[in-house]
Amino acid sequence: MKKIHLLITFFLVVFSSQILSHAVVTHSSLDVTEIKANQPTQVRLTFNSRVELDLSQIFLVSRGDKMQLVNASLGQNPGQVVIDLPALQPGEYALKLSIFAADGHLSEDIVRFHVLPETVTK
Amino acid sequence: MEGIADFMDALIGGVDLSFYCMTIGGLLWGFFVLKPWEHHPLYNDALLTTSVKLIRIGAYAVAITQVFKIILKIWLMTATLERWPFPAFAETVQFQAGIVRALFAVVLGYYAHKTLSYNTHSHYYWTNAVLLSLPVIIASAWLVHGASRLDNRLLLMTLASLHQVAAAAWVGSIFQILAVWHLKQKNKINAELWPALLWRFSPMGMISVLAILATGIPIALNYIDSWNGFIGTGYGNLLLVKIFMLIIALGFAYVNHRNVHAFFLNGRNHNLECRVPYYIETELLVLITLLFTAASLASQPPAVDIPTLTASWQEVLHTFAPRIPRLQSPSHEALLAGEAGRVAIVGQIPSEAATAWSDYNHNISGIFLTVMSLFAMLSYNTKYAWAKYWPVGFILLGIFLFFRSDAETWPLGPIGFWESTFNNGEVLQHRIATLLVFMLGVMEVKARMTTDPNSKLPYVFPVLSAFGGLMLLAHSHVGFQPKTAFLIQVGHTLMGLFALILACGRWLELKLDSPVKEWAGFVSVFALFQIGIILMFYQEPLY
Repeated sequence: MKKIHLLITFFLVVFSSQILSHAVVTHSSLDVTEIKANQPTQVRLTFNSRVELDLSQIFLVSRGDKMQLVNASLGQNPGQVVIDLPALQPGEYALKLSIFAADGHLSEDIVRFHVLPETVTK
Repeated sequence: MEGIADFMDALIGGVDLSFYCMTIGGLLWGFFVLKPWEHHPLYNDALLTTSVKLIRIGAYAVAITQVFKIILKIWLMTATLERWPFPAFAETVQFQAGIVRALFAVVLGYYAHKTLSYNTHSHYYWTNAVLLSLPVIIASAWLVHGASRLDNRLLLMTLASLHQVAAAAWVGSIFQILAVWHLKQKNKINAELWPALLWRFSPMGMISVLAILATGIPIALNYIDSWNGFIGTGYGNLLLVKIFMLIIALGFAYVNHRNVHAFFLNGRNHNLECRVPYYIETELLVLITLLFTAASLASQPPAVDIPTLTASWQEVLHTFAPRIPRLQSPSHEALLAGEAGRVAIVGQIPSEAATAWSDYNHNISGIFLTVMSLFAMLSYNTKYAWAKYWPVGFILLGIFLFFRSDAETWPLGPIGFWESTFNNGEVLQHRIATLLVFMLGVMEVKARMTTDPNSKLPYVFPVLSAFGGLMLLAHSHVGFQPKTAFLIQVGHTLMGLFALILACGRWLELKLDSPVKEWAGFVSVFALFQIGIILMFYQEPLY
């Protein structure tokens, strides 16, 4: 069994190549609303396709590429996902998305954003 | 993981589409071209059972590839989520439609195997087989790009399904025509059937091309809403390549039609026997590559969804601009120093050394290929017969790539050979590509040295070239910004197209008689020259 697993892994790894895939973010609340420091926030991402959320994962990435799994739920509109972010210190962050679209494509994307100090956001 | 998923989707998707075409196209061939129930005096059991056999093999293969696709998805999700994806996966349309498609493909294959093959002259059984293919076609509609769209879902699914059926009518018939040719070569059918069936296929071929265009154009207009989207996105770029391939395939179809027409008009048999079969083989190679490109297209986001990531036509043109090739490489230390920042998710810092390292590798490879292609052109002059050993350049290129492809690994870097090869997908991919290039050189040099006229060695070169083209058509770079990835992809895609031309030209050079074989050979090496030029001027965007 281990050999079969290794064989499949080998085969898959050999033929890996593309980056762009089907499900992409078409609208992000990060583009219009800044994240306030030290306050839990919700981020809304809209994808170009329906999303199977039970089969998807979203990580918050902080400096040093430290990853933390975050909660996400489906929004009111089709293709919309609402992400719960914890209170964040000012700095650079990213959302690392592993999204399983309804057409069966697994898509990975990175959405980078900044959390500015409170004095700046005010 | 996504890179693995996409390429596997494209690869298995291409295999799946090829077998789908063999099945559905085979049924359409039987129903509209053969019409066995009309009791044509030239038909025999060998012809009809072979036709049904192809349909049966295609249907079983569709079922197997569909199940494999589902298993692959389960494996990928387990690896990505680090948990078993059920029961959530069982509730997806992908899983349900996939299972239904596989089941009905088995039913169709079984019917062709156990019933149709014993009643090949019956209109009733052919009709049943066509009806049994409908659930396969409908289930396929739930697995296309349009199924996940938020707008015009039903329309896009319908158009995509009809597009697939139209393509199947053409490609599936080509499979059948080649089967007829092989039966004729083995004297298992009446020789008159060869021109007769080619002639009878023409109207269906034309209708299928019209249907491909009639369904494909609205889909394209729905997914691409600007000229920039057509030229400056991965989706538009692959569609453009599909159009080029369609034109090449249509060119072969036109030449074949002309030759069949000439046969019935003047009785000229030479081209029909000595050229048309090989043109058809090449047409099939182009069409299968087209199907793989179509599968690859399905994993690209439509241009209409990524207006902010679209490159302008000036940026695309700039990637092909002539420039002095980079002949000096940055130091190994400079490259390694920039790697940590380049691959970081947060706080990413573009690495000039990495870009320069890559440019140097591509440009030097381009010089290799350009020089090889010039020697290849020279070899057509009998005065310079020694130049026919130009493929030795592939051996040298393989050695160059071995040392340069992955700077952080053995022999240049600190990571050991086995550790790097089996722990890093990109390194493994490069190692295999390097080995392929090296072996291509070895095999082709051996093929040119052999004195055996029946040697199959010469055919290794076009087959490997076609495979290389297929890889390039689905090639891009993990870890890049999307627009950067596209600007790199556009050059690789064009090289993939030229690799296909290289393969087709060489195949025809090996199969045809003079003077056409020399023309085909020259086209082949000219395609190699073009690949060399693209690589020689290659410049990676800073990322």
